[in-house]
Amino acid sequence: MKQTGLSRRGFLGTTAALGALGLTPGWTTAAFAQTGGTLRLRIDGDNDVLDPGFMTGGTEIEAQKQCLPFLAQYARDGETFTWEPSYFVTKLEQRDATHIDFELAEGLVWSNGYGPVLASDVKFSYERMKDSDWSGYFEALDHVEVTGDRTGTIVLGKPFAPFIMITLCHGPGAVLSEKAMADVGDRFTTQFPAVCGPYTYEATPGQRAVFTANPEWTGPKPAFDRVECNVITEVKAAELAFEAGELDCTEVGADTLARYTKNMPDGTAIAVAGELQYMWMGMNTEHPKLQDIRVRKAIQHAVDVDTILQGAYSGTTAKSHGIICPGLTGQRDSAGYGYDPAKARDLLAEAGVSGLQLTLRTLNNQERMLAAQIIQANLMQVGITVKVLPLDSGPFWEMGQESKGDTWQDLELWLMRFGTTPDPYEATQWFTSDQVGVWNWERWTDEEYDRLYEEGINETDPQKRHDIYVRMQEIMENTGAYVWINHEPEAFVHSTEIGVNAAPSGELNYRRFTKA
Amino acid sequence: MLYYLTKRLGLSAVVVCLVVLVLFSLLHLIPGDPATIALGPRATPEAIARYAEKMHLDEPVWRQFMIYVANAATGDLGLDVFSDRPVTAIIMERIGFTLALVGTGMGWAMLLGIPLGCLAAVKPNSWLDRITGVFSVGTIAVPSFLVSIWALLIFAVHLRWLPAIGAGEPGDLGDQVSHLILPAFAIGLSWVGYLARMVRASMLEVMGENYIRSARAFGLRPRRVIFGYALRVAILPTITLIGMGFGGMISSTVFAEIIFARPGIGKLIFDAVTARNFPIVQGAVLVATGLYILVVLISDILIAWFDPRVRESL
Repeated sequence: MKQTGLSRRGFLGTTAALGALGLTPGWTTAAFAQTGGTLRLRIDGDNDVLDPGFMTGGTEIEAQKQCLPFLAQYARDGETFTWEPSYFVTKLEQRDATHIDFELAEGLVWSNGYGPVLASDVKFSYERMKDSDWSGYFEALDHVEVTGDRTGTIVLGKPFAPFIMITLCHGPGAVLSEKAMADVGDRFTTQFPAVCGPYTYEATPGQRAVFTANPEWTGPKPAFDRVECNVITEVKAAELAFEAGELDCTEVGADTLARYTKNMPDGTAIAVAGELQYMWMGMNTEHPKLQDIRVRKAIQHAVDVDTILQGAYSGTTAKSHGIICPGLTGQRDSAGYGYDPAKARDLLAEAGVSGLQLTLRTLNNQERMLAAQIIQANLMQVGITVKVLPLDSGPFWEMGQESKGDTWQDLELWLMRFGTTPDPYEATQWFTSDQVGVWNWERWTDEEYDRLYEEGINETDPQKRHDIYVRMQEIMENTGAYVWINHEPEAFVHSTEIGVNAAPSGELNYRRFTKA
Repeated sequence: MLYYLTKRLGLSAVVVCLVVLVLFSLLHLIPGDPATIALGPRATPEAIARYAEKMHLDEPVWRQFMIYVANAATGDLGLDVFSDRPVTAIIMERIGFTLALVGTGMGWAMLLGIPLGCLAAVKPNSWLDRITGVFSVGTIAVPSFLVSIWALLIFAVHLRWLPAIGAGEPGDLGDQVSHLILPAFAIGLSWVGYLARMVRASMLEVMGENYIRSARAFGLRPRRVIFGYALRVAILPTITLIGMGFGGMISSTVFAEIIFARPGIGKLIFDAVTARNFPIVQGAVLVATGLYILVVLISDILIAWFDPRVRESL
């Protein structure tokens, strides 16, 4: 072997010097010092697809809300979620059940020289969505009629009461520049081809997304000139970063929420965006062990939901009385059954059932497992032996679907949680007759429920809608196939120096954050 | 030497092929339809069909494997499920962060561990040796994720001396180094113990050799005997350990990268597994394996370079 210029000693010396470089003190610059006008937040992953038609959802919607026009935005009317016209329109009115007139505000300009925001951009953006991954949100849309440069009418093919609330306010309702989209081949992923909003967008994959003030923006100035969204996958890591003073606001988990609620640190506050998750324990009404409604009703009475809320969720979640979440039209005040083990035993005796053994399937995360164990203990008290079967998300989400195998036939009990948009329509759509074997894993059908589902979509009167959705939940409950459990909140911990603005489903809207 | 290198490279290629096969098989062994798992339970049938076509999931498994191997051989590891970006480009963006972290972690561990091992061996059974022993076993026993969390809580949350998250401002070296200190400390700590124990054991063996006794008998200064002769031989098994440790660290950085929210290969794999983004998982694990093999190969070559006995036996 030939001797080269690098000796063993030299090799070790160089390595040692590199190691020492990493240990050199004094380089702890002001990386975590407060910078004026900068809002520091967390996102849980990279924004892979910013295109509203093909996004995965989540923080991509947050980016769209800062950089693209929306015709409507969420608002609160007391305790109820509603909508209001956004800054981008001077008019947004539902003329009748199938026509929504709009007029864009004056002076809205796309970046990169793509000119003013036009009604034809709205037409392009919404009609394009009918062929996208989010086409479900535009099923009711027939077309958009352009009546002037800034005016037009959204024409629905059939009445669809929640269109503004769940489509126009949400990510799929973003408006794109038709010219810019033509230049990028009608699709984009990690960069907006043109923006019209208070911020421009730049991202460093794996590290952060940065929103800086848009020099071409003529609308209301946001409270912060710059927003830094750090990519932090784990909620716990984000919580520690908040405690280290490196974030101004972050989402928190149930246990941390309980800790903060009990002992709030100085300069810290909690904001709850919404509680649009609904969790229940389902029962397969077709399974031989559960075909008798008295057995199902016995199980409803045997589960102590209050203990689950305390034991698994530290009292941080709202008790559920149905599938319609808090703040939405149709939410029920109470369930038609209560925790009553004696009544459960009576019902089982009446049904002639003893020594019943059931399997409870659940996703294998901490809260669900705790909830399952409490249910297991509750049912044991009335003489039902429960085996808890934790599952990974792959097999869990397929187990009730007929198209994915035969597991649906063996389903007995399961813990399920769905998320929804701020309108009761979406939560009810999974339990119609045509959803049996798809998402209606409880496998019941009811003609009245199906009829009410259609009526709820068409009905625009708030009180009538409320009554429709309350009745639909009563029908569900009367099948005995549901034990309502809770609605988990989208909670954020934040510095008291800022005011948080979030959509009911938890997406933050940085442009509407305030300084205290 | 050339024969040795060729043999080792050939063996490395076989290992990489086996890894590709295992990774590929795992994707198909996971319960559930890969397209549904990747896109989520509410994906539309059209989106699932588009994904299956894009990822060649509608082809027979053997053909999918052949396509993957052929593409991987040209550096094409496929496309990210969500962003459609090339997996190779995504990995290249992150790998520098992981290598910097591993290099710094192992660097400071060597800087402290090797001298500690020498000192312990020079004065065996002294108080210094005993303290070094307790310290070494202690650092080996504490898992790096625990060190990460405690380091974060003490130095970032409580004392606020060092930053808690991220990799620092791009282009600001000082900021990047400050962001490197805590994670490098966390992943390197246990290696201080490993290296100290290994160097001590090797040194004790070497210090009993005849040539060391002869050197002492000739009146050479102790420092020259220890660092000039004994350590030169005793360090050889340590180089192997460092090589394997460096490779192992590449995968074990996952905890530090998650806890400190640093970009890197480990976090990339974790995020991709969570999102069922299989092309990224396959590509990143393949690259991590390749790096491991490369580092072990380099350490073997270094040993052959430093030790004439090894060279002659090739």
